Amino acid sequence: MSEVADLFDPAFLRTLDRLTLITRRPLAGVMQGERRSPRRGASVEFADYKPYVPGDDFRQIDWNLYARLERFFLKLFVAEEEVTLHLLVDASASMDWGHPNKLRYALRAAGSLGYIALASLDRVAVQAFGGAAGAAGRQRPVRGRAGALPLLNFLSRVRAAGSAALLESCRRYAQTAGVVGPLLLCSDLLDERWREALAALRRRPFEITVLHILSPDELAPAFEGDLRLVDIEGGEPVEVSADVDLLERYQERLAGWRSEIETYCAGHDINYIFVPTTIPLEELLLDILQRRGVLR
Amino acid sequence: MGLINPWFLALAAIILPSIIVLYMLRLRREERTVSSTLLWRMLVRDVEANTPWQRLRRNLLLLLQLLIALLLLLALARPFIKTQGIGGRNLILIVDRSASMGAVDVSPSRLEAAKAQALQLIEQLQDGGRATVIAFGGKMEVPAAATSDRRELKRAVQSIELWHGGDSDMSQALSLAGALAARSPESEIAILSDGEVTVPVSVTLPGTIRYFPVGSGNNNQAIAALTLEAGGPGTQTLFARVLNEGQREATRRLVIEVSFGGEADFQLFNVYDLSILPGQDQTVTAEVSGEVRLVRARLEGSDDLPVDDLAWAVQASSDPIPVRFVTPGNRFMAVALSLLPRVQVTAYLTETATFTDTPVLTILDEFMPDPLPAGNLLIIDPPRSTPYFSVTGELNRPLPRPVAGDEPILRHIELGEINILRAAQLQNAPWAHTVIDSDAGPLLIAGEIDGRRIAVLTFDLHESDLPLSPAFPLLISNLIGYLAPGSGGEAAQIRPGEPLSIPTGDLATAARVTYPNGDEEMIEPDDGVVVVAATQQIGIYQVELLQDGEVIRSINYVANPYSESEAHITPITVLPIREAGGGIVGREIDKEGRDEWWRPLALVALLVLIVEWLVAHRGGVARLRRRVSGLGSRVSN
Repeated sequence: MSEVADLFDPAFLRTLDRLTLITRRPLAGVMQGERRSPRRGASVEFADYKPYVPGDDFRQIDWNLYARLERFFLKLFVAEEEVTLHLLVDASASMDWGHPNKLRYALRAAGSLGYIALASLDRVAVQAFGGAAGAAGRQRPVRGRAGALPLLNFLSRVRAAGSAALLESCRRYAQTAGVVGPLLLCSDLLDERWREALAALRRRPFEITVLHILSPDELAPAFEGDLRLVDIEGGEPVEVSADVDLLERYQERLAGWRSEIETYCAGHDINYIFVPTTIPLEELLLDILQRRGVLR
Repeated sequence: MGLINPWFLALAAIILPSIIVLYMLRLRREERTVSSTLLWRMLVRDVEANTPWQRLRRNLLLLLQLLIALLLLLALARPFIKTQGIGGRNLILIVDRSASMGAVDVSPSRLEAAKAQALQLIEQLQDGGRATVIAFGGKMEVPAAATSDRRELKRAVQSIELWHGGDSDMSQALSLAGALAARSPESEIAILSDGEVTVPVSVTLPGTIRYFPVGSGNNNQAIAALTLEAGGPGTQTLFARVLNEGQREATRRLVIEVSFGGEADFQLFNVYDLSILPGQDQTVTAEVSGEVRLVRARLEGSDDLPVDDLAWAVQASSDPIPVRFVTPGNRFMAVALSLLPRVQVTAYLTETATFTDTPVLTILDEFMPDPLPAGNLLIIDPPRSTPYFSVTGELNRPLPRPVAGDEPILRHIELGEINILRAAQLQNAPWAHTVIDSDAGPLLIAGEIDGRRIAVLTFDLHESDLPLSPAFPLLISNLIGYLAPGSGGEAAQIRPGEPLSIPTGDLATAARVTYPNGDEEMIEPDDGVVVVAATQQIGIYQVELLQDGEVIRSINYVANPYSESEAHITPITVLPIREAGGGIVGREIDKEGRDEWWRPLALVALLVLIVEWLVAHRGGVARLRRRVSGLGSRVSN
């Protein structure tokens, strides 16, 4: 419990109560909830008429219309269902890096969004890639405020380890996820196959938001001299002679890489949000995510 | 191309690999864990794709260090290229500065070329090597003695200037060089000359001798003589002789100008086109007005030695020159003296020799009063010793021969076959130089001592056939001209560099000398004689004798550049000097000088070292640059 409190400040969580997740289009859920669903169901909002065919629920027949036309029509209403928020947290070794720590930042962001979703009676599924978050690294979907505690508990147990294998993880998640819904991917995307990974997620109609989290020392490394750079995830080491010139070129390369991702995301209906860990979480949730149409 | 210390290059086989090994050891890079090397991998890929030599750049420092080591080792190996030069540690430079070195057949002149060669030799001097600079020609000088200071040596060489007059007698310089060379084992004597020099017969010097001949041409025409003598009443006879020393026929125009007043009033008198065969001369004789005081002749056109294309002559003084002749009877002498214009002879018999007059010259024939009379002396057949020389015996049938060189007393004289029965043996006359020598001892000596000129003819004229030869009157004329300046046709002519003694008589209290370049000098007479020592310049010297500030007499003297030995400018490529080891010194075919290259190599190594340092600290340098530019922009804001 102390780990949860360490990660999520209760007072901070309370400020999130007034926020709601925005879905850009109606999404089908499993259970009744508070969001418009593409399905027809029980609500006060009229949707359409439909000729009666045997087998339909005759309780929905519009008898007033029958009186006028002497034919059976069903009166359909917009269904209001929950949505399932998918939280994908990259817990590979590379995420446990930097000051402030990227993984911690990702977990707090994911937890906060999950809490917001649960507060509005939505369902939250969470998955940590790589890492040592327990058997499957996956939390059974939870729903409602009651699910907040298991969710936060799960997140606070996530430890970074190993390689994320982003592509495999995303592909597997897309294949096995129950219902689609908003999907938040918190990752540093430091994987050569980030493009394929995002494409794999797009096989299902998730509303994808990518939180691209990088730490300050990745944005501007303070290296000097001849170094042998060792990849924490066991990637190929690189020998560099760091000088101002090289660091300048690194910055250029980094900017190029980011704009590459951003362009890809813009072209594939993915909400890309670049977050250095120096940005306070409050600013992210209360300002950036609202401006980017993720929260309201 | 060669190496003095080639074994240093062998060191390269050890040092270069060890630098590489050290570099590789040093390049065990510091390991730094990063979250991901993805971006760095991309970066390195970019860089290598863009510039294939970037891989090299990573080893730039190593390459630079190897280059520095290689350059330093090369410098230590002391590469050199063989040049015409020297190799010894004790260099003795003998530079000819005689008039013939003024020839312009090599640009700008032979002397300048010799000096340039000397500077090059000094440049090639080994470190710690010493050098001595000797200049000869006229008077020998040693502007730099046994010093290793190259700057001083170069200054000494630069200070050598052409010396008009005098001869190119190298014997003194050679004996000094020989003495210096004998003192130090690795000695090398370098002679820079055109070869027109007098060297002692079969001289042998210790050390290595190298001769660097200067000069290539031999085209020279000279005004060998220009005189102005009293002719008929109211006229003077101008005589000019132009000599072609070259080896081709030459056509030159002789321009004669005369002046009735001073040097500023020259006006054209006549122009003669002369065509002269090689080795021949042409003379010009003309009657000019008796009023002509100065004559200037010049050859138009150009040759290799322009300096002797110019000559001056002055009107002979008409004042009688009193000469006292003390003799038991000498008809030959009396006739010869009577032929000389202006010479006023007072003859005394030896028995009645009590002198009352004060002549310029006293001729003592077989007679030696005690004390000797004042003034200049011509002593013939001295019967006994005097304070100036010793008579130590007799020479039997000496064979006379003229001394080598340019002796004014022997000017225009061919001695030929002269027989002498008996002559006095003279010794202990260091003040005099020998004019006519013989196998046993000198026959005629002349020189200056105690402010007077003395000449001694050691044999009785009656015991020789010299008075019967055509040379005799010329010899007497020259002797009287030497002993009583101003008496002969060329009396007012002096050789450049030769001191000019003018008897002032009793009246003059001072003499004002105007030099050819316009400078004036006041000279006090000493013992009745004014001596003008600085007669290096060529041209007209005006001497005015003053009595209480009033000019009582004005005499012009000219110093003409022509010199018989110097006018012959054909460069000589072999000098009859022997090295102690044998062999005659000639033009060096086998050039053994070394031009060392380690200095530029060391300099390049230093530059590469600076580059290496900049490359090694390029990060810091760039930061500094940025800080400076940031500071600048902040200041401008």
